[in-house]
Amino acid sequence: MSKEESIVKIRDLRLSYYTRRGVYHALNGVDLDIMRGEVLGVAGESGCGKSTLGLTIMGLLPRNAAIENGEVMVDGFDVVRPLREYFRRSKGKFKPTKNDDVLKKLHKAMMNIRGVKVSMVFQEPMTTLNPVMPVGYQIAEVLLQHNVSLLAKRRLARAKATREDMKAILGYLRGNDMASMMDYIKSRRLEGIEDQVMAYWRRRDLHDLVKEIRILSLCCDAVNPMLRPGLSYAARTNRLPSAPVLRQLVRHELVKEGYRKAAEYLGLLGMPEPEKVVKMYPHELSGGMRQRVVIATAMINNPELVILDEPTSALDVTIQAQILDLLKDLKQETKAAYMFISHDLSLLYQVSDRIAIMYAGKVVEVGPKDSVFKEPKHPYTQMLLEAVPTLEPHELKGIRGEVPDLRNPPKGCMFHPRCPFAMPICREKEPPTVDVGSGHKVACWLYAGGGEKK
Amino acid sequence: MYYIPTLIGLTVMVFAILHAGGPYKLIAPYINPRLSGPARQEQIQMLIQKFHLNQPIYVQYFYWLWALLHGNLGYTTTPIFSGPATEALAIFFPNTAVLAIFAGVLMWIIGIPLGTWSAVRKDKPDDVAIRVFSYTLYGMPIYLLAVVLIIIFAVYLKLLPISGVVNPELTVGLSWYVNGISYPTHVLIIDAIIHGDWKLALNAFEHLILPAFTLALAAMAGVINILRASMIEVLDQDYVRFARSKGLPEGVVTKKHARPTAMFPVYTNFAYTVAGMLSGVVVVESVFDYPGIGYWLTQSMLGNDMGGIMAGTLIFGLIFVTTSLALDILFAIKDPRIRLG
Repeated sequence: MSKEESIVKIRDLRLSYYTRRGVYHALNGVDLDIMRGEVLGVAGESGCGKSTLGLTIMGLLPRNAAIENGEVMVDGFDVVRPLREYFRRSKGKFKPTKNDDVLKKLHKAMMNIRGVKVSMVFQEPMTTLNPVMPVGYQIAEVLLQHNVSLLAKRRLARAKATREDMKAILGYLRGNDMASMMDYIKSRRLEGIEDQVMAYWRRRDLHDLVKEIRILSLCCDAVNPMLRPGLSYAARTNRLPSAPVLRQLVRHELVKEGYRKAAEYLGLLGMPEPEKVVKMYPHELSGGMRQRVVIATAMINNPELVILDEPTSALDVTIQAQILDLLKDLKQETKAAYMFISHDLSLLYQVSDRIAIMYAGKVVEVGPKDSVFKEPKHPYTQMLLEAVPTLEPHELKGIRGEVPDLRNPPKGCMFHPRCPFAMPICREKEPPTVDVGSGHKVACWLYAGGGEKK
Repeated sequence: MYYIPTLIGLTVMVFAILHAGGPYKLIAPYINPRLSGPARQEQIQMLIQKFHLNQPIYVQYFYWLWALLHGNLGYTTTPIFSGPATEALAIFFPNTAVLAIFAGVLMWIIGIPLGTWSAVRKDKPDDVAIRVFSYTLYGMPIYLLAVVLIIIFAVYLKLLPISGVVNPELTVGLSWYVNGISYPTHVLIIDAIIHGDWKLALNAFEHLILPAFTLALAAMAGVINILRASMIEVLDQDYVRFARSKGLPEGVVTKKHARPTAMFPVYTNFAYTVAGMLSGVVVVESVFDYPGIGYWLTQSMLGNDMGGIMAGTLIFGLIFVTTSLALDILFAIKDPRIRLG
């Protein structure tokens, strides 16, 4: 199952927010796939359900969100099933408090998916980090929750490695002979050291000499003999030992190791002086640095999908460019898929492989970025692209009318009140999604033969 | 450094009110009732001279302040104690401290989990129950609460003693417990443990439970309400959602990520909680006949006992001001955003 092509498969997802002022139909039949290793850009006006879609994949919905229909398969796990079943059971008497109970159970069920397979970067780096925790701990926490064995192995390897080992490893690195280096590490049973060696070796901000000194100094860091059995238990089972005092001591040791790993990772993301930064609190960092910390937290466990919910909107343009460069680098280095949510079309064109255009809680057009941008099919996409300012002078056209009130959305196609090509059938039936070639799909009667039938 | 002016303002105010009734009320407890005629007048004049009551009030205040700076708080004459006020403080303060600390610990270990639970389970039946409980406590005067607890636990269930510090039968013939005052620390529980009398210590502890619970419950309502409100706000913050998105267990999310920031309003309010507990102590100690500062202060006020009232006011003011200072330090420890340098 895990060899399937898509990491996320969303089918006919319908979601409503139950508020005091009425029921907002936020998602109205979303069909979307995110393939492994691709960057999917999701664009649309404010309030069209982009962020809701991201939160649904993470299962981080607020308590008043009702899943009325559909499924969201994340690597074979149906995220919305309990919520959907609760909504069916409630038979029109939806209660946010009961939904909250279902959500709590969902949190528990998703503990091993979030932060491991799927993680999310939120819009505001200012508020995403906990103000009273050092940022290093906030990164280390993810490892401590899901990847204890990596931390324990790293610590044990550093205790076991001798200066000769490190010299040998450095020799392989200088000769760029990674395969022999891995063989050497395996034969000396130093698993976990390669993680640290590579982190220094790939740093760009350090001088080669500094790198080599740091790599050489990765040895002979003795572990307290009382902790050794606890650490090897953690390395073997990926769990902290259960004996009460030992657990705390081992945890403490691994938190320190987590800070180390966090600093290494931040260094790879181009953070200057990461060893100092990990001990700082969020208010001591700039917006760009905080967003790097958030990205590091999301990426440190090598997830298969990262949802980026407008990661650069709150940053100024130069920092935005840096973060985008960083994401492009990460995309090349990891095999993760990205879902990039933004309302900045030019930005999406830069980063994504495929683009999905959303309107009023529905994906109206999805396809490879070139075909969507060069030959937009849906009238909404066409008008949206005409509204983007470019360097060459061209007449900017707004889209007339306004976004429909999602409490009582228009019947048929959501876009028909604003659409210049609206036909009678558009007012009556929802358009089906049709493939217009090479994976380019449109939900519009113009292409579904709606005109001919009537 | 606004602490000293606060204390001066407080004592000036109480001093002025105390002297508003004229000199005769203040010296009344010291007049020998058997004297009459010119001898009586002579004694009155002598007392007025001795306490400087014929001087302007601000001069009197400076006399008091001067004596205070020399460690002299004046004399106190109440039915439960007569002698130097400093000695009275040494006897009564430890008892109040034990009561208040016990009550504070109870308030903390019951109030904080309840507030957290109430916020996490917002709008569900258990949250509604906790809110009804806390608002009932909030609206109840402390003497009523004390009487309700006495009626339930002492009169009907007969689990705990009604009032006092110890069953008098147990203290007959003890060398270190004389006239209701125990030695050396003046706190009966601690003294009993020092002298190895475990039965007595247990009995004294039973006598401590009801007053401490009364005080704790009265102060707890504020903690629950404030923590619930700020916790609900914090649980909606982005960083709590981000913590969930890391796949952390719900308990870690609420206790480690949400609660530390949600506690700040509780800490801010803690000075008021302490102030409430101090005024609560006065009532609770009177209701339960518990020999602490509050009981002594009530007796002083009933008898127009100048030394007792001034000393009690000063010590209460001092506690309040120290708490505020401690809170400032606590904030600097807990909140990295306000740490300097």
